[in-house]
Amino acid sequence: MAPTELDLTAHDGSMLGDSHGAGEVESGASVAGRSPRQLAVARFRKDRGSMIALSIVLFVVVMGILAPFLVKLGVLDPYSLNPDLVDPTNGSLPTGDHGGISADHWLGVEPGTGRDLLSRLILGITYSLFIALTASLLTVIIGVVLGIVSGARGGRVDALIGRVIDMTLSFPQTLMLLALSGGFIVLLVDAGVPAGNPAKGLYVILVLALFGWPVFARLVRGQVLTLREREFIDAARVLGASKRRIYFKEMLPNLWAPILVYFTLTMPAYVSAEAALSYLGVGITAPTPTLGNILTDSANYAESDFVYFFFPALFIAIIVISFNLLGDGLRDALDPKSDQ
Amino acid sequence: MTLYRKAFAVAVAGAVASVSLAACGGGGSSDDSNTLQYISFRPAEHFDPQRVYIGRDISNLGRLAYRSLVANPVTTDVAKSTELIPDLATDTGTVTDGGKTWEFTLKDGVKWEDGKDITCDDLKYGVSRTFATSVITGGPNYILGYLDIPVTKNAEGQEVSQYEGPYTGKGQALFDKAVTCEGKTITYHFKKAFPDFGLAIAALRAFDPYRQDKDQGEKSNFAVFSSGPYKLDGLWKSGKGGTFVKNTAWDPATDTIRKQNVDKIVFTEGLTDETVTARMIADRGTDKNAITDRNILAASYSKITGAVADRATLNDSPYVFYLLPNFKRVTNPQVREALKYSTDVTGWITAQGGDKAYRPAESIIASTLVGAQPNPAFQDMNDVEKAKQLLRDSGATLPYPINYTYNSSPTADKAAAALKAGWEAAGFKVTLDPLADTYYDVINKKNSKSDVVIAGWGADWPSIGTVLPPLFDGRLNLQGSDTNGNDYGNYNSPVVNGLFDKAAAEATVEGQAGVYTEADVQLGKDVAYIPIGVQQFYLLHGSNVDTYIQNPATSMFPDLGDISLK
Repeated sequence: MAPTELDLTAHDGSMLGDSHGAGEVESGASVAGRSPRQLAVARFRKDRGSMIALSIVLFVVVMGILAPFLVKLGVLDPYSLNPDLVDPTNGSLPTGDHGGISADHWLGVEPGTGRDLLSRLILGITYSLFIALTASLLTVIIGVVLGIVSGARGGRVDALIGRVIDMTLSFPQTLMLLALSGGFIVLLVDAGVPAGNPAKGLYVILVLALFGWPVFARLVRGQVLTLREREFIDAARVLGASKRRIYFKEMLPNLWAPILVYFTLTMPAYVSAEAALSYLGVGITAPTPTLGNILTDSANYAESDFVYFFFPALFIAIIVISFNLLGDGLRDALDPKSDQ
Repeated sequence: MTLYRKAFAVAVAGAVASVSLAACGGGGSSDDSNTLQYISFRPAEHFDPQRVYIGRDISNLGRLAYRSLVANPVTTDVAKSTELIPDLATDTGTVTDGGKTWEFTLKDGVKWEDGKDITCDDLKYGVSRTFATSVITGGPNYILGYLDIPVTKNAEGQEVSQYEGPYTGKGQALFDKAVTCEGKTITYHFKKAFPDFGLAIAALRAFDPYRQDKDQGEKSNFAVFSSGPYKLDGLWKSGKGGTFVKNTAWDPATDTIRKQNVDKIVFTEGLTDETVTARMIADRGTDKNAITDRNILAASYSKITGAVADRATLNDSPYVFYLLPNFKRVTNPQVREALKYSTDVTGWITAQGGDKAYRPAESIIASTLVGAQPNPAFQDMNDVEKAKQLLRDSGATLPYPINYTYNSSPTADKAAAALKAGWEAAGFKVTLDPLADTYYDVINKKNSKSDVVIAGWGADWPSIGTVLPPLFDGRLNLQGSDTNGNDYGNYNSPVVNGLFDKAAAEATVEGQAGVYTEADVQLGKDVAYIPIGVQQFYLLHGSNVDTYIQNPATSMFPDLGDISLK
């Protein structure tokens, strides 16, 4: 391992999918050559924690994708009311012990309506992941583009973007989110987004992304500052490559590692942000379930119907932890030096 | 009292407030042993007698600091609660001219907190302030329509009084003619019969006296210049609260209603509902002396057992909730009937916590009002088969699409899901439209896209005239260019308007109630509204609190008139 690891550090430090590295040159060595990607995968595979996290993440994502179809097929039933399963003389808490857990309702039912909690949680994953995923993608795209431009151009552009980043970071994000929600959602609706949950969901996505990108842009800028002095960039420049080509064909492929790591770490942050925002009254509202709005309602029942509070909290905890572990594992695998 | 819109907004804000489930008891020192604590979420908006319009604050001020010509007794009995007892006046007033002239004489020895006598001029000045509509805002303004002062059209073509209040003094002579003082006797001249004027005096603070030399207009909003057994100690801190202490100038010999049992009353506002519920259940420290106007949260109903249950009271609140079909959009009477028969009242109530949160309503008119009758149109509502049949007969394309607009909260979202399920079972296709921040200002637009909306209302005084005309008289509500006032369903019926006129001409409250009941029957036939629940007050009080009463006359909030501590 040692020689190849040296190779890796020798060319571009930490990058996966390096299209300009010296891998091919090294492949003539006596040790069987392995690309940085293969090395990273091998390192990742050896890390049991990361592998478990990855399988949970995959499972959660697959559930999220399948849930709407399972609802259509009638396997999951997140919307039907079962008033007979709650007791209107006892605060409409589920009848029976443990939040109304039964053969038909594995995690019990929602107080007040008797809707199936498991179905709502699984469909909630779909909506929560969709919001977190879209917001993360947007965050990364904005961050990458502005980070590259800022780092590669330098000078005034860099200074300008730097100040925008400073400004954005200095806003009290949560407060702005709350204060702006009313007017902003109206603007979205006026712009043609369907009123109600689509507009509210889009608002959360946009705002998370708008306040999330600066940190990542800075990170990318730092990487780009080292990249732009590298020979292959000079070579491309000498050959007359356009700026756009240099940014996105030459530099971007060398940024996949931080992008991937940042993405997997942003996702869980946004899953919990959605929950927190929901608690503060911003975001998708019932009957459409999200992990956030289920948890918001269940928090009231932490004492009187613990099961109803426990499972949404558990779901969010598992998703956030496994995404975080996955992100950490990826970082370790892609950039072994960063541990030291 | 008053329209529920303010309390409604609060329900949402409550959901927004932070988690503090484990909030603990009040602590506090032991020399507070005879101090009553009043803990709440909802901040007071006005203490100015002519501006206060939140039921709780009207009630508290009326018992603590503001005396009226006549007042209601401290009682739990519904019938007794509407009785009038002379308070500042020597009797309950002399009515002449078919209800158009009212005369009261002030008692001797009734004093302000600085020891000066309460005079007829103070009473007159109080009423005059309501006419200063640009300064004295937010309060009930019935007097503008009743006092015999000529009106004129303003720039927007609306009818306004020629008297502009004491600050500008424009039209003062007209006012001085309508309200006259002779020694200790005050006479009110109305342009139409006002048989429930006495009830209005007792139920609102708008007709209470005000000392001209204490009036600083807008700045007096949270000032309390007391005539009752308690006075404000220092300043009221909006959002936090304040303390009322004994008023030594108050003479119990002149007051048969109020008592001065406790030394102090400390008001704390701005707590979350979670905190209030948790503290009231825990009953620790000074919270043993606490009372509240905030309902136990449904999530905590299951904890109200044993000794805690002994401190819980369950009563009808004055607020009735109702659905309104939008008459501009749901024009087919059969569709409205179908809506009525498929409205799942039980599901709606269950979703909000069950029988301690709401009970089914039989009319929009609360049963505590003088002459209230159940509306026959809303007796056997739950009939999905009938609803299906009506929808089919209506000739409309099925499923019939409707938009249901409501004020969102986790609980309200569940309740809306229950309504949706019921309506869809009958053949409607329901789109839920939950609103987060502003509610009434959205649904009170004439061209709103809502097919059905929800609203709540409590009578200003126990007369049906403060319920039906403000909500369904199209002539009052629909004259604005884009707003429908309180008539969120854009309902306007010549038949019902005629009955309102007929009722207004009756010389007695009971006579009016009879005519209003006819109007209610017609409203039921038209499905102008669908009553969906009488909100319950499920309140806890501390274990040291004695002579605890919730009075229909104090909007079913705790009556502070005779409250004491063990």
